[in-house]
Parts: sequence; C-alpha cells; structure tokens
Amino acid sequence: MIAIEHLTKTFKISRQQRRDMGPGFTSTTVDAVHDVSFTCNPGRVFTLLGPNGAGKTTALRLIATMLQPTTGSITVMGVNVVKEPVEARKRMGFLTGNTGLYDRLTPDEMVKYYADLHDMDATTYKRRRDEIFTLLGIHEFAKQRIAKLSSGMKQKVSIARTIIHDPDVVVFDEPTAALDVITSRSIIQLIKNCRAQNKTVIFSTHRMGEVSLLSDDLAIIHHGSLIFNGTFKVFQNQMQTDSIEDEFVRLVEAA
Amino acid sequence: MKHFVTVFRKELIDTIRDRRTLFFMVIFPLVLVPLILTIVTKIQTSSMRKAEEKIIRVGLVTNGNAVDFANDLMRSHGLRIVDGIVPDSAESFINRDSLDAVIVVGRDFDSEVAQLRSGTIRLYYKSSDDYDMVKRRLTAEIDQFEKSLRANRFKKLNLDEAIVKVVQREDHDVASAKERFGKAVGGMIPYFFVIFCFMGAMYPAIDLAAGEKERGTMETLLTAPVSRFQILLGKFAVVVLAGILSAVVSLLGMYLAVRQVQEIPRELIQLIMSMLDFQTVVMVLSLLLPVTVFFAAVLLSLSVFAKSYKEAQSMISPLSIVVILPAMIAVMPGFALDPITAMIPILNVALATKEIIAGTIKGLLLLEVYGTMFVLASVSMWGCAKWFEREGTIFRGT
Repeated sequence: MIAIEHLTKTFKISRQQRRDMGPGFTSTTVDAVHDVSFTCNPGRVFTLLGPNGAGKTTALRLIATMLQPTTGSITVMGVNVVKEPVEARKRMGFLTGNTGLYDRLTPDEMVKYYADLHDMDATTYKRRRDEIFTLLGIHEFAKQRIAKLSSGMKQKVSIARTIIHDPDVVVFDEPTAALDVITSRSIIQLIKNCRAQNKTVIFSTHRMGEVSLLSDDLAIIHHGSLIFNGTFKVFQNQMQTDSIEDEFVRLVEAA
Repeated sequence: MKHFVTVFRKELIDTIRDRRTLFFMVIFPLVLVPLILTIVTKIQTSSMRKAEEKIIRVGLVTNGNAVDFANDLMRSHGLRIVDGIVPDSAESFINRDSLDAVIVVGRDFDSEVAQLRSGTIRLYYKSSDDYDMVKRRLTAEIDQFEKSLRANRFKKLNLDEAIVKVVQREDHDVASAKERFGKAVGGMIPYFFVIFCFMGAMYPAIDLAAGEKERGTMETLLTAPVSRFQILLGKFAVVVLAGILSAVVSLLGMYLAVRQVQEIPRELIQLIMSMLDFQTVVMVLSLLLPVTVFFAAVLLSLSVFAKSYKEAQSMISPLSIVVILPAMIAVMPGFALDPITAMIPILNVALATKEIIAGTIKGLLLLEVYGTMFVLASVSMWGCAKWFEREGTIFRGT
C-alpha cells in the first residue's frame, strides 16, 4: 500500500529556466508536485495520468525515495519513506521505459547484482531467478552481454531486475513510453500479474489505451496538482465526452 | 560494507569490460609509452649518429696562411674542403646550402702568430637542429690546431705550458650518483605517474557517473535499498584502483622501455635499478594513494554533475592541463621541496617523489606532504559524498 498525504515538491529554478518560462515568471521556485494526496491499495492498479511535465515522474521519484518531499508524507507498506528510505526501498520495485541496464553485464549478472543489493539469500535468489527466467524466457540469453540483446529481450531483463526481490509495491514510470507494441505487451502483462499477486501497483502513462486496459484507480495530474482522483469506474461515469482521451483533454483544459 | 563490496565488484567488472577504459588504463601506458619512448630514443640516437658521420662541406680561405691547418682539414675524415671561396660570399653559400661552413684564416695569421700574437680564424656556420654538429666538429678541428700552435710557441720560448695555468681547479661533487640522477631525472617519474594516474581514473569516473546517468541506470540504482554513500564508495574505489593501476602500469612501461633501449649505458640501467629499491617503491606508491583519492573525488564530482558522458568529457578534459602544470614545474630546476611547496597539491607529491628517488627526502617535509594530501583527499572525498547526496546534482537536467 502507498499512502500519500499533502505531498509537495518544490524545486529551485535557475535564471535560464526562469527566462525559458517567459517574462511573466518571476518566482525562484516551482512546485513540480503541489499538495497531492492519494492512496494505492494492494491488488489494484493505480494509474497516474498526465501530460508531459505535469509532475508524474517527480511524484513517482518521491515515492521511490530518489527525491525528498518538501512537505507532506509518503508511506510505503507502512514505512515512512523520508525517515526510513532504505526500508521503504526494500519493499519496492521500480521500472521505467528506459530499460536501465548495464550493457557490459549479462542478464544473469544484472539480476544477481540487484538481488545482492536486496540482500537475497542464495536459495531464495536461485528459486526466484529460475521462476522469473522461465516465465519470461530469459534462460536462452542469460549469459549474453546485454548490449547484444534486442530491445524486447532487454525489457524482459529489466522486468526480472525489478521483481527479483518479490516487492510488495511496484512503481512503473511510463514503462512503455519508448517501446514497440509487442514489447509493451510484456509490461502490460507484468502489471496484470502484479495485480493478480495482490501487489500494489502504481504506473504513470500518457497512453489512453493503457489507462482503460489496466486502471482500477486513476489520478490525473496537471501542473503538479491532481485534477481527478478516484476509481476508474467513477471516472467513466462522470465522463462528459465520448472517449477517455477527449475527457482527459477537457479536464486538463478546464484546469 | 556488504553493499559497498557488491557495488565495487559490479563496477569493477563493468570497467574491465569497457575497452576505452582498458585502453587508457593498461594498453596505453604499458604498450604505447614504451613503444613511443623506444622509437623516440632510437630516432634520436640514429639522427645523432648521422649528424656525426655526415660529410661536412667546408669552404676554406687560407690567404696563404696556416698551411698545416689546411692540410689537417684536408686529411680529416668527414670533411670535404672546397677552395676558391670569396670570403664575402661565405654567408650566401651557407644560406643557399651550397656549403655547410666556411673557414676564413686571417691575411696576416702566420705573421701574427710568429710575432707571438693571436691570429684570427673566422668560422661561418648556420645554427641548426642537428645538435649544432657542424660547429662542434669544426671547433674541435680549430681547437686542435690552436693546441699544436701553442705547444710550438712554448717550445720555441723554452717555457713549460704549466706556467700559464695559475689555478688548478679540482671539483669534488659530494652528491652521490643516485642523488645526481634522482634530482635530474627523478622528476620525470612523478610527471609520468601523475598524468597516467589522472588519465587512468578519468574514463572510469566519467563512465560510472555521467555514463550511468545517461544510460538511465543511475535512477534504478538509487531505488535499491543501499545508501547513496555506499554506492558512491563502491564507484569511488574502482576509480581509485583504476588510477593507481594506470600509474603503476605506466612505471612498469617505463621500466620495460629502459630495458629495451640498447643505447642506454648498462651502468645507467644498473643505477636506475638500484634506485628503485623496495622502500623507495613503497614510499612512492604511498604518496600516490592520496593523489588518486583526490583525483577520484574531483573527477566523480564533475562527472556526477554532468548531464551526459559528452558533457563530462568536455568538463574534465581541460583539467588534465591543471594536473600537468604542477607536475611540469617539479621537473624544472630550482624547485625543491620546502615547507611551502610541501603544501601545494600535486607539486608536493612530484617534488617529494624526486627527493625520495634521490634518497634526500627529509622526514618532516615528507610528513607535511602526507598530511597535506591526507587532508585534501579527505575533504575532497567528503565533498564528493555530499555532492552525490544532492538531488540537484543527480537529477540535473532531468
């Protein structure tokens, strides 16, 4: 479970960034995330939807403890991420569209590296590795250098790295953004599997097809603030347009 | 500690498998440096020999004087004497490369010498880059002629040549051969190892920080349940190891080059070997450690700040000049290790190495160098750790 209350993240901005924002912008800071609250529950997929630069990645980085909140609180499986970031990370897996793999390692070495960082014992590691490698079909290229693998193979390794320690919470930051349709399917399947295994799943996207395919709960973020937060069913019931995409655009433009 | 080892082991494997890093860390110092050194020495020796053996074309104008000198020149091996030169055209002959030199004996040379005065011999030549061999060889001929004339003059006057030698200077250099060589050439060793240490650490530092950010692996690494300090420490240790390894390999490369170049006298090689005893090597390497830690901290700090591999390269490359400068100053004469220079980073290590090799290092100054470098290494490492913790550094430009 992830619980977020009144989360704000303020960044200082440089003169250059201020100039880029136009003559009307005089502040020295900007809120990438502003007073955001939501809860992600186990066995449900929480979708964070928003246009580019809305604050999705910042919100997920705050949950994953890469960034520290300016105000507000985040708890992951009951652990306060600010006070005990390492404990929180033990319970989390993080996956982005960028595979985030080391080209000069093999899939075996890559997954073992993360298993070691998660202090997995040898027996558990071996069992998990065999399960995941069999499920994803990694065995046949497990000893090859990652640089030589196709993007689909790389994504499988990336998935294996993310879930090797069997996390309770999985964070997906635009996981399909840079992927082709076939490779995207493996990610979508992974998200479904995580839900089936009663894991807490949060994923950000701007692909409407994925929203309708996966979402149990939905939050729409724009300029750092939530403009919708509820179940996907509620969202569908409240729709004033014909498609999710049109409704998303309407909400963003109205905000 | 366990996570530090995990990160270190992974980064080491990753670094060893990076061909570019491996090239600058091992291949370049171990193969290319001896190769370049060997080729340069061989070319230098061969061009020196060629200059010595070259037939020098000498225009000779005696004005009917110095017959013995003219005969000596005619008989001299390696000279081709050309008669009938007009003295006024000497310069133009040399500038046109028709002649290498012109010797003009004064019109009244014989009579001046006979009257116990000085006769004039004018030597025209052009300074050149082939070791000024024309001037050296012809000056030797003229000196030889003067010597025989002087001997004849003293004989004629029935005098002993020793009467003009009023002072017999006796030089006693109390510096040992090791000391002389250490002071003269010892400066080159830190010059090499400081540069290679920096170069060897440079590419791993860029790859393990900026490269990791660019590939997107840093983001996922930061979600692992490991403190940032342990991640940094693992990377740091690999960069330090690469720097030290590179410096040691460069010294090994130089050693191999010295052994390979046959033109170096055997006695000199023995002297070099005797200088590099166990204690000297240990002391030099112990100085290398804080330098490398300092380099690693600076390099990693810049690299982690850079948005991409390319930006890190452009930020770090100019630094090599900053590193080379103090190492170069240490090679210059007149710079010695004193309480002030012992506090100037890199210069202090280079000067201390020179003194260690020469066997003249003073304990207190060495302690000051260690102290300065230890403080610098600790502060730079602490700064790097703080820098790595900053969100603005890690996520700059994302």
